[in-house]
Amino acid sequence: MSETSRTRTGDRDIFPADEAEADDAFLIERSRREPEVFAGVFHRHAPEIKRYVTRRLGADAAEDVVADTFLAAFRGREGYDPSQPSARPWLYGIATNLIRRHKRVEVRQLRVLERTGVDPVTVPFTERSDERLSAGAVRRRLAAALARLPAGHRDVLLLVTWGGLTYVEAAQAMDIPVGTVRSRVNRARSKVREELGGVDPTSVSEETFHE
Amino acid sequence: MNEMTQLNRLRSEVPWPDPTELRAEEQRLLSEIAAFGASSPARPPGRTYRLPDRPVGLRGILRVNLRTSLAIGAMAAAITAIVYFAPSAPDKGSAVQVAPVAMSAVLQRAADTASERDDLAPNPGQFLAYELQVMFPVKLKEDGKEVRYLDRSLFKVWLPVEGSPLDGGVMSSEHLEPKPFPGESLPAEAKRREGGVAAPSKLTGYDIRPDHRRTDYAYLSRLPTDPAGMREHLYRDLARDPLADYTAWGNVGSMITRAYMPAAQRAALFRAAGTIPGVETVNEAEDAAGRRGVAVAMVNKFGGVRHEYIFDPTTYLYLGERVVVVDAATAGAPEGTLLTSTAQLKVEVVDHAPEVRTG
Repeated sequence: MSETSRTRTGDRDIFPADEAEADDAFLIERSRREPEVFAGVFHRHAPEIKRYVTRRLGADAAEDVVADTFLAAFRGREGYDPSQPSARPWLYGIATNLIRRHKRVEVRQLRVLERTGVDPVTVPFTERSDERLSAGAVRRRLAAALARLPAGHRDVLLLVTWGGLTYVEAAQAMDIPVGTVRSRVNRARSKVREELGGVDPTSVSEETFHE
Repeated sequence: MNEMTQLNRLRSEVPWPDPTELRAEEQRLLSEIAAFGASSPARPPGRTYRLPDRPVGLRGILRVNLRTSLAIGAMAAAITAIVYFAPSAPDKGSAVQVAPVAMSAVLQRAADTASERDDLAPNPGQFLAYELQVMFPVKLKEDGKEVRYLDRSLFKVWLPVEGSPLDGGVMSSEHLEPKPFPGESLPAEAKRREGGVAAPSKLTGYDIRPDHRRTDYAYLSRLPTDPAGMREHLYRDLARDPLADYTAWGNVGSMITRAYMPAAQRAALFRAAGTIPGVETVNEAEDAAGRRGVAVAMVNKFGGVRHEYIFDPTTYLYLGERVVVVDAATAGAPEGTLLTSTAQLKVEVVDHAPEVRTG
């Protein structure tokens, strides 16, 4: 299908399919004939997708959602647009659809965080929880804001923040126009800002974190 | 600090998962690839089996040394297909000689043998249980450095006699003692994995195969018993293009991969497979259990590899599978690189699949 991606193989070195070298479109294209090659797409993106889904739903649901995401991607690989070198938007899109099925879980956990300041999602990962407590008020309000957003707005907002997608990529992921992404992000941002209104963000002590 | 930065910090303590934390998900994908994606061009003729003295009238556990190839071969290839590695000290298999002429003789004998054997007689509601040993290269990061080793695992798969693998199919696995990658030391992670057991779990995924590509026993046992009819089945619905032969060959593979059929169909399948252009024989090969044999093989030009299905040199019983690089540029690994090897150890009929953990 995509001749452009195929030509990349011509000058490959010893380990061309090595994850850094072939682009996703090439791997996916090749996986149509050799399904096992699709494992490369998993190795390349599963950690990122897993972390994203975990942030939204917690570790338990994330395992299922991530597994389902890659199963659905594998099954749908024929439909992959070979002009897209990176599969990230595609995979985030599939994951987002699957996350929707767990909307109640997501919102319930946000509400718990809002009400109690304890985040069910991060508890298993937070050994030094004391470091986090200083930002408790902000986190609770962020949770409140996220819980109240319409699902489609929350999806887009988190794709461009936690997912690190550009607006164009988020539009691809959600299969909506870029303009819609922009307006949803803007609206979602202002709601979050409103919610944070009562908190002076600058008063939050700097946590140690690594993004 | 604006609200976007604040938001970015929320739950930022959720760590990047390391590969070991993605094993469940990976396993499910690989099962899916193995179960339904095994359209890889090199699915060779399956094989006959020999029944040890079968307890007459004992339904339930009929244990035989069946040697068909299993989709787990594809699973191993799944990993190796992207985790390429340099060839070990050129092993015997990489020096195989290809003798295109002898092919039909091997297949012919396999087919003849097949029809002489006793059959398993699985019934709907029962399960076919397969056991296989697989060796494949694994590349991983340790202390920021890429390290390699040869993983060895034992897989057990239970599939319903009738219906989709998703209707009750179960799989478990166990890491056997790993081997160092030739010339390298064994990574600590490889040692850690040794003995690791994946408890039986349900096969999951999507089964969207057309009805005529079903591979359950109930279906396969109704296929034509003549080579021409079987060949027609292999090519059914295929466009007349150069890929058709690969796909037909792949269809052979999926029909013997975690699949079992009566001797009449097996014989027909072997003969039909022999009519697919591009089949060749390999005079010297060795399966994952160290059994030596001869192989029938088809070169996958798209992958730059030759898939070999190994037969006992005298009885032509099926032993296992190998994937060897024949075109470095296409495969992305040096010629002769052994990408994977598999030995199917047994298949049996059982009344139940094992209990799986729920949730």
